[in-house]
Amino acid sequence: MKNAFRLIAWGVVGTVLVAAGLCIPCAQAQTQQPDQQQDQQKSDQNQKKKKKGGFFSGLKAVTGQSSEQQEVTATAGTKGVGEGAQIGNATPSSADRQAVSAMESYSIPPPDLKKFQEDGRLKPAK
Amino acid sequence: MKSTNPLRRWLSVVEILAVLAVLGAGTVARAQFGDLLRRTKEKTDKAQKIQKALSPMTVEEERDVGREVAAKLVAHFHLYKNDGLTRYVNLVGGTVAAQSERQDSGYHFAVLDSDTINAFSAPGGYIFITRGALHLCEDESELAGVLAHEVGHVAGKHVIHIVEHDKVLRAGMDEANARMPGSEYMKKMTQGILVKIIDQGLAPGDEFDADQRGMKYAHAAGYPADGLPRFLTRLDQATEQGGQSFWTRTHPPVKDRNQKMQQSISAQHWEDADRPKLANRFAIVAKTLKGKKS
Repeated sequence: MKNAFRLIAWGVVGTVLVAAGLCIPCAQAQTQQPDQQQDQQKSDQNQKKKKKGGFFSGLKAVTGQSSEQQEVTATAGTKGVGEGAQIGNATPSSADRQAVSAMESYSIPPPDLKKFQEDGRLKPAK
Repeated sequence: MKSTNPLRRWLSVVEILAVLAVLGAGTVARAQFGDLLRRTKEKTDKAQKIQKALSPMTVEEERDVGREVAAKLVAHFHLYKNDGLTRYVNLVGGTVAAQSERQDSGYHFAVLDSDTINAFSAPGGYIFITRGALHLCEDESELAGVLAHEVGHVAGKHVIHIVEHDKVLRAGMDEANARMPGSEYMKKMTQGILVKIIDQGLAPGDEFDADQRGMKYAHAAGYPADGLPRFLTRLDQATEQGGQSFWTRTHPPVKDRNQKMQQSISAQHWEDADRPKLANRFAIVAKTLKGKKS
């Protein structure tokens, strides 16, 4: 009798453990399945977008090259690449960036602007 | 003392089973709850990206992009170092820009050291004219017309609208370090903009719009409104004779543009032909320009 109880008890414990062990992967699989479907949909949409073409699609159309290829081309010479793409490949130095900052902070003293406008019979700001 | 009561033994087994069942259920619940949290976060992030993609660019974002485009133009052409000329271009540019309906971005003017006949505007109000274009101008009203056209592109947000139209690109602006100078994102963004404005050209409608805006600003500033049409006529002749300009390559035909501008001048009754073209003071500054006149 004692052995029978013990046997049944351990049998039930074992079953619960196995069931719990099976449930977790099942639950994960259930949640992962929609994720995988979503990922697939995303990649399909991305491919469609690539075909449709965004702002950068023109870049490839003009140069016929990937951006990585363009960088190589810019280093080796720019034959066949549009001027805009060449300028886009330029790497500004700190001096170039400082020049832009100087451009931003450049200002004409208001009395000078007023005199310039009066001399030319121009109109001040509205 | 060891229990020999089968009922007590049975109860202890039931208790163990209950604890195990609770633990098992807890593990499953935790896995599902954690996943739910992850998915909620993903959805929130996605919603934020969509919201960002649909929102217009802020002035700060526009300025960051424009600064990078300007830095590349400066890196490629180099600024023309002539203090008197830079000051003069800023005086003329500032006078027409003051008439623009858009004043939040500010306008900055500089001269590029290039013989080609070009003028550029970048988002954020960075406006450049080349030495070659200055050589082609015959008077201040023509320079005012060219600069006012570029101010018109900034005021009309023509480049910004193209960037905003690309939702994927727009959404990427909030990524970490995206707006830092020299970032990968900025490289791609500025490359796209420069190819668009220099190699492909803006939409003809945007060019016509910039023409109309430019004429309006020039006229409102006190210049004759036909400064730009006169410059374009000469540009057409210069490029036919071998002058280099992306304006004639990427912009609508000069004949069409001038026709539309003349129609506007008539329709608006801008009888301003007697206004001074300011050729003398332009000539004084233009004398300091290096290189040959086109």
